Amino acid sequence: MKSLYLRSALALACALGLSACGGGDENLQLGGAVYGLTKDGLVIQNNGGNPLSIPANASGFAFPELVGSDSDFNITIKTQPVSSKCDVVNGKGKSGAYGIYSVEIRCETFSFDLGGKITGLDSDGLVLINGRDRKVIPAGATSFTMSIFKEDGTTYVSGRVPDGQPYGITVFQQPKTRTCSVANGTGKMGGAALDNVVVTCI
Amino acid sequence: MKSSYLRPALALALALGLAACGGTETFTVAGAIQGLAHPGLVLTNNGGADLAVAANSTTFAFPSSIEYGETYDVKIKTQPAHQTCEIDPNFDSDTAGRMASINIPVRCFTNTFTVGGKISGLTTEGLVLTNGTAGGTVKVAKDATAFAMPNPVPYGESYGVTVLEQPAGLTCTVTNGVGEMGDAKVESVQVTCGS
Repeated sequence: MKSLYLRSALALACALGLSACGGGDENLQLGGAVYGLTKDGLVIQNNGGNPLSIPANASGFAFPELVGSDSDFNITIKTQPVSSKCDVVNGKGKSGAYGIYSVEIRCETFSFDLGGKITGLDSDGLVLINGRDRKVIPAGATSFTMSIFKEDGTTYVSGRVPDGQPYGITVFQQPKTRTCSVANGTGKMGGAALDNVVVTCI
Repeated sequence: MKSSYLRPALALALALGLAACGGTETFTVAGAIQGLAHPGLVLTNNGGADLAVAANSTTFAFPSSIEYGETYDVKIKTQPAHQTCEIDPNFDSDTAGRMASINIPVRCFTNTFTVGGKISGLTTEGLVLTNGTAGGTVKVAKDATAFAMPNPVPYGESYGVTVLEQPAGLTCTVTNGVGEMGDAKVESVQVTCGS
């Protein structure tokens, strides 16, 4: 008699235990880390499902819908953020027994040329800086950008400013025979190249 | 009969094996250097003779080698100009022969210093200063009489402090805000505010 109860209880326990593994239960979180996201507008999806918006400066994300174990996930970008490009790393796989937190979204904010007009520069020696970025401006120049290119003239090296970041252009070294001043040299980069800095040499 | 050959053979093999650990091998106390851009670095081994390391070197080696079983202890006696070097403390000292060769990693970084200065006449909130794009911005509270930019500037790099946002009702101007970082922090930038 005693063993009959025991056996039934055991059988029930086994049944409950197995059902807990069940195929229909969705109890795993799907998420990960976000790097370099400085702008709003990023929208991602899992398996083309409900879109999830990720705000600027987020460092992580998790879909509100849970996923089951042993199910395929495929995280894709539905909409790129403003002035940025994000890529999903480890976005595709199959869930195991634990939540998935290994997905990475890596974003880069677009950078734009910063420059403007120059008047009265008839000698060499002018060096403009934006903080640590330096640009030597030759005699006769009537415009400039802070962008530096390799000798081939097309391979960009440095000097552009990411959308939303501050800049401040100053005269690091005056030209030989003139004194130059900068107007409108400080601000925040927008979503397009800037050429409204005014350098006047007298 | 068989075992009488085996035993001497084994003894010989053991003897040869031990001899391979031999007492006569010598080791060069050497290493790799990362990031050394300026002259002046001096290393010593066990407090002995100076080893001067030239700018831009990527390796070093002490001229006198040491015997198997001798200890070495490499230290930085003099830092190079404008830089600070460090020796990985897990590899700076040991006994020669414990590893197949001696390879001591030295890493050098360019010294960095803050840029800042004095403020006068700042009677309202809202002043934001920036040092270009990479130098960071600082929001300066009203009545402040001094400031420092958040990101230190490495030796030899330029800095240029400008006003990103003016305080309410005031106009601030920066003088002496441009320069090239030397070997000490800059405290000579002057921000003057008035209506």
